Amino acid sequence: MMMREDAKPTKTVVGVFGFMDDLTKAITSVKAEKFPFTVYSPFASHEIEDTALPGKSPVRFFTAVGAITGLIAGFSLAILTAMDYPLRVGAKDIVAIPSIIVIGYECTILFGALFTLLGLVTMCRLPNLFRSPGYDARFSDNKFGLVVGCSPEQVKEVESSLRRFGAEDVEVRDGL
Amino acid sequence: MLASQPLSVQSLSVSGNTFPIPDVVVSDAENEIVFERRQKRYTGEVTYTEVTDTVLNVMNPPKGGWWALLFTCIAMVGIGAWAWTVQIINGIGESGKSHPIMWGFYITTFVFWVGIAHSGTLISAVLYLFRAKFRMPIYRLAEAMTVFAVLTAGLFPLIHMGRVWFFYWLMPYPNQRALWPNFKSPLVWDVFAVSTYLTVSSTFFIVGLIPDIAVARDRAKTWVHRWLYTITSLGWRGSHAQWKHYSGAYLLFAAFATPLVVSVHSVVSWDFAMSIVPGWHATIFPPYFVAGAIFSGVAMVMTLAIPLRKVFSLERIIRLEHFDAMSKLILLTCNVVSYSYATEFYMAWFSNNTFERYQFWFRPFGFMAWAFWIMFFCNCVFPQLLWIKKLRTHIGFLFVLSIFINIGMWFERFNIITQSLAADYIPYSWGGYNFSWVDWGILIGSFGWFGMQMTLFLKFFPIIAICEIKEIMPPPMRGNDEHGKVGTDASPAH
Repeated sequence: MMMREDAKPTKTVVGVFGFMDDLTKAITSVKAEKFPFTVYSPFASHEIEDTALPGKSPVRFFTAVGAITGLIAGFSLAILTAMDYPLRVGAKDIVAIPSIIVIGYECTILFGALFTLLGLVTMCRLPNLFRSPGYDARFSDNKFGLVVGCSPEQVKEVESSLRRFGAEDVEVRDGL
Repeated sequence: MLASQPLSVQSLSVSGNTFPIPDVVVSDAENEIVFERRQKRYTGEVTYTEVTDTVLNVMNPPKGGWWALLFTCIAMVGIGAWAWTVQIINGIGESGKSHPIMWGFYITTFVFWVGIAHSGTLISAVLYLFRAKFRMPIYRLAEAMTVFAVLTAGLFPLIHMGRVWFFYWLMPYPNQRALWPNFKSPLVWDVFAVSTYLTVSSTFFIVGLIPDIAVARDRAKTWVHRWLYTITSLGWRGSHAQWKHYSGAYLLFAAFATPLVVSVHSVVSWDFAMSIVPGWHATIFPPYFVAGAIFSGVAMVMTLAIPLRKVFSLERIIRLEHFDAMSKLILLTCNVVSYSYATEFYMAWFSNNTFERYQFWFRPFGFMAWAFWIMFFCNCVFPQLLWIKKLRTHIGFLFVLSIFINIGMWFERFNIITQSLAADYIPYSWGGYNFSWVDWGILIGSFGWFGMQMTLFLKFFPIIAICEIKEIMPPPMRGNDEHGKVGTDASPAH
């Protein structure tokens, strides 16, 4: 049974898994059936990430923009301030590139890291202080969670499927 | 398809792939037993829940020992604050700084704390990129140490400048005389390097903490704790999308922090090497400083980890193998540092420069030779005992050694700074350093300040990275017993 395009997922079925291979099989199946889903795990797992959300994180684009901005900002700061009040110091040129490299280097790293942080909170939708309906405290300890959104008519089928895939516990909750 | 399979079949077909389905649905209790048994078999000793419990136990309500430690640290901060106040009221002459040694105790201590800070990010970022598993149980401690050590180090330029209320003169802003800071000066580079290091290290540290704070939130027993950890974890859930972006971002943070580790202490070393003072003007300074910083930082991690491990029963997580790995890193950097000392002497002789030659005669045989020999014993001789395998896992010995190394590394900076200024070019201007109680008071205060932050941190936030420890444990698998057996136990990969 596939998720109908016109069906509105108003119910959440929470499957609690103890074994990762059970979970990844269930994810593959749920994904193939086009059900909206979220996987919770107590740690980062490439196995889960690659199954649930293949591809690379776009956070790296934020990083690249930040690093380039920092490089330009660092060089600009040192060059423009030197030109603003031209004063020869230590027998160096007014705009002494070797000394400016240090400022540019530090600013590249500083801005790159800060933009990475911005990318992280943006992509992870943080802060998000309200509990998700499918979340369970066990998912930060020793269990994996597969939370599937479905219409009320599909609840029983999804529930029994998750059990057959090895879910130790299945709960149905309102909302998505 | 997902829901159309009959309950009795033994496999399930999705998109042409066949997946086995357990023939019976077992009870929760049975499942739990299987889960625990399999996980223990893979990991040898600990399960996910035991990791969570062990680490969060550190955050249990404090007992007398913790309060005693906290008040000792606060008392030390009080001594430092009193000494600084006296210096602010009476002037910089209260410290031992006087001609010709205008960089003395404070800059020595500044470089010492920056060095301590250095290895936290090394352990965290560099070893992360190299996939060194022995970093896992200690890296949070090392990162906390980094941030608190930089916060301590950052006080010393302010203390050193005397008129602390003019600290903003270091900042790049257009002042009334239209003069900007001199970006050609290593001292301004240092401001940028240290402040960048503080910002990036803090970011790296806080980002690493978020998933673990979420674990603490889910185990919180009171609403105050739950509220505190909900706010500080930013509502982290550990969804697959969050972990995906988190892993990507963490790798990028590590990639940025790694060159920063090298650059920050290189720039600190340029404070000296860019000048023409004998004993300072050396191209070997950046690698020599970086190695020294790793040496002292890893030693400080040991100084902190050993009592914490004992007091909070963390022996199953911070294991002897981890101390063995840290000892090897100490031994490596000890030899790099010793080689650098020897190179300095060799280059002074080879250069045939009178002033360089005199400086390197003065250090071991001059009137401050005691400082040189303390450094030499603590940094070059004593750590050589780590060649003995038994001593690399002897906790008592390692604790004593780590303290000696930290003393030695403080004296290394003292030798570089003070001895070089004591006997430079013109004998007329030679002189010694007059230690004052204000110097010592501020040094004690800095240790109190650092210790106070560490003491508070370990009661409020997870001191060991719970999620990353779980990450290196092999995941529980129902269907494939071979999975995760190779090199995946919680001990380090050698």
